[in-house]
Amino acid sequence: MSQHISTQARDVQVGTEIPPLELTVDPEKMKVMTALLADPNPIHFDPRALAALGMPERTVNQGPLNMGYLQTMLARWAGGRDRLLSFQVRFRGNVLAGDRVRAQGTVTAIEDTERGRVATCDISLVVVGGAEVLTGTADVIIEE
Amino acid sequence: MSEPDGYADRVGREFPGGEYTLAPWRAWLTADALLDDPYDEVPHPVLAWMAGVSGWGLTWDEFFAWFDATADDGPMFGEHRTTLYRPLRMGATYRVSGRVVSVERKVGRKAGTMDIVGYELDLHVAGDHVARCFNSIIFPRRSA
Repeated sequence: MSQHISTQARDVQVGTEIPPLELTVDPEKMKVMTALLADPNPIHFDPRALAALGMPERTVNQGPLNMGYLQTMLARWAGGRDRLLSFQVRFRGNVLAGDRVRAQGTVTAIEDTERGRVATCDISLVVVGGAEVLTGTADVIIEE
Repeated sequence: MSEPDGYADRVGREFPGGEYTLAPWRAWLTADALLDDPYDEVPHPVLAWMAGVSGWGLTWDEFFAWFDATADDGPMFGEHRTTLYRPLRMGATYRVSGRVVSVERKVGRKAGTMDIVGYELDLHVAGDHVARCFNSIIFPRRSA
């Protein structure tokens, strides 16, 4: 693994903020995801289809990409992708091509379980300068 | 506000199911589409849901047709939950099963009439339950 900002479990407490992850949404990546998912919805790749629907001609990011940004943030903080136990989000708005988004989270509980020390976190994805588009919770192992 | 809908008989309907092999090229492209590290040996957790909808034995158009909808209607994600009982493994072949678990008609003040369909997907390998994903999808009913 590389580029992980692993956490020191002993420093984590209720209220700890997870290092946020910011990135700019690339419409070319939506086309890759369209192909991987065999997703026929043209709002993810065809600006003309958006115009026909009366929507802005900026393609709409796939939901799995939006939730994936949050999972990436959690995995980097916890020390690996294999440390995510559960993940739950509600989709509240769209992310459009070119948007700058920020994945963020805060620890709300810590529990010792048979799989290790587990942090429960409130998480959200926001469009920088705009709306909160995903909100939810996640459980991650912070110490095995 | 809720009102009766015509799709209650779809609740419990099983997907045909199938298999999904988490091939390294799929994991690489998925991580790259997320602007995450494509060289991480642990597959990105978003692949749990992607494996489910790639191995459920349906196309998106076929699934939409169960609810008399098409991609052109603009279906949207509502909620998502992933529970990982075991980490995903590169190269593993997962048996996929799943079913429709809820259908609800709602009328929003702004969004109008919509049907919210919940479905869940299970991944198993060698008899072990690896993951369960729940997702709800919103079908706008502009003509209702």
